[in-house]
Amino acid sequence: MITVVAGPCGAGKTTCILQELAQVPMPAVYVTPGVGPVPIDATRVAARFPQVEIFHRQPETDLLQRLAAGIPAYFEMGFQLETDMPLLAAQPHRRVALVGDKERNADWQLWADAVIQGNQSSLEVNSAQLWQAPLSGQVFDPPSLDTFWQELIQGAYGEVHRAKGIFELVDGQAFHLDFVDSLPGSAYTELNLPRWVQGRPNRFSGLEVVGQGLDERAIAATLKDCYLSDSLLAAHQATLRDSLALEAS
Amino acid sequence: MNIAVLSCIHGNLAALEAVLRKIDQQSVDQIYCLGDLVGYGPYPNEVVARIRDLDIPTCQGCWDEDIVDGLNACDCSYPSLLAETRGRLAHEWTNQEVTPETRAYLANLPLTLQQDSLCFVHGSPHSQHEYLLPDTSAFIAMERVLATGADTLFCGHTHVPYVRHLEDSHLTLKVGSPSTQSPVPAATPLPALQRIINAGSVGEPRHGRPNATYVIYNTDTQQAKLHEVEYDYAQTCAAILEKGLPAIFAWRLSKGLEYAEKADDPSHVCER
Repeated sequence: MITVVAGPCGAGKTTCILQELAQVPMPAVYVTPGVGPVPIDATRVAARFPQVEIFHRQPETDLLQRLAAGIPAYFEMGFQLETDMPLLAAQPHRRVALVGDKERNADWQLWADAVIQGNQSSLEVNSAQLWQAPLSGQVFDPPSLDTFWQELIQGAYGEVHRAKGIFELVDGQAFHLDFVDSLPGSAYTELNLPRWVQGRPNRFSGLEVVGQGLDERAIAATLKDCYLSDSLLAAHQATLRDSLALEAS
Repeated sequence: MNIAVLSCIHGNLAALEAVLRKIDQQSVDQIYCLGDLVGYGPYPNEVVARIRDLDIPTCQGCWDEDIVDGLNACDCSYPSLLAETRGRLAHEWTNQEVTPETRAYLANLPLTLQQDSLCFVHGSPHSQHEYLLPDTSAFIAMERVLATGADTLFCGHTHVPYVRHLEDSHLTLKVGSPSTQSPVPAATPLPALQRIINAGSVGEPRHGRPNATYVIYNTDTQQAKLHEVEYDYAQTCAAILEKGLPAIFAWRLSKGLEYAEKADDPSHVCER
């Protein structure tokens, strides 16, 4: 069965798919078309369900094989994308729209087989800015990251409607940070990934911000001020390895 | 007698003027200042000149010392990489901006001031850089007050005002020597009440609003009252941008957030 999930920015599409994946037999497939170099949602899904096969760059032929085999598949359509894909035209699928009360218009009702309550979105899509930054290899100290994140979501660098990111911390853990302007606060979730204790992490991390009037240079410059240098990272990791070895002994 | 205690002005002239205007209306007999006249804000020379012209007894803050002696901070000054980068930017800017006259004034400020049973310091009697937070351990807090010989210790540095009473405290001493059999006192009773009064910050509050804070203390009734004063912080924000300080300082000031330093570890003892 193929499920296509769509909705406005920050509606809760990935969360909805994660909830469904927890119910379906494995293996399963997760597809995020047009995600580019910052696959935050795909990384989040892969960390939570390592058995799920992620498609965001792989050849379409591989994906078609999985679909033909009847493996449960979830397509997450980014808010900036068309909700119809040529690849799905010949495939039977279920369409789920996640929308807040104020966005429940006829277009969604016509497109979807099921309209589910999603988070409210106040984003003006026509004037929205989407800013993405791959951060792979960069490591943060938590107080710096927290300061940056609070400044970002409170509007120091422009009006932010949605921000999500995966960040590597100095203790070797990777965290998913999630902000939607219609929800209170931010969600901080530790990803189920091995601790990275030697050298710069060779796995994806990155940030995506959606808003208006974003000062992209200032965001990038502040992020850079938060990066750990090679020497600082090496010193922290040496201490961390000693501490983990002590715990294990 | 009413005394007004202000601290941590950080080159914010508009905030200082607003506080001085308010104090003028409050029957204050004496003003004390707990330092950090400079750093982060756009008017370090003007703030020093105002304090000096009014002949306000002032002790040296950590930023005042850094401008005189150079940066030599322990971890408590920079709780994060971002704070360190921003702190260094502010230090370099201020270092370029201050006049020789301002620097000489800051260099000659005393570390503590005392009046009868009242003591005035910037951070703690141990160091201008040490934070006495509301939840610093009672033992350390008591030791810091006792070290001054005063009953009431006025401090700043945290930028969050508070009054802390240290009641019915005892310091237990255990001194043993194998060569003597003399009895050891189990505990040294202390005067019934000591207190720490933190004046908050005039120029760089971190209580969630941009308003300046200070304290008025009545020496007869021993009552302390924290005051919060609104002022035209947009004026300071504009000067921050105009003078080439980081724009994020203006945003943070407008939100009532500290520019960079933020101590939140009550167990940290400054090693500077």
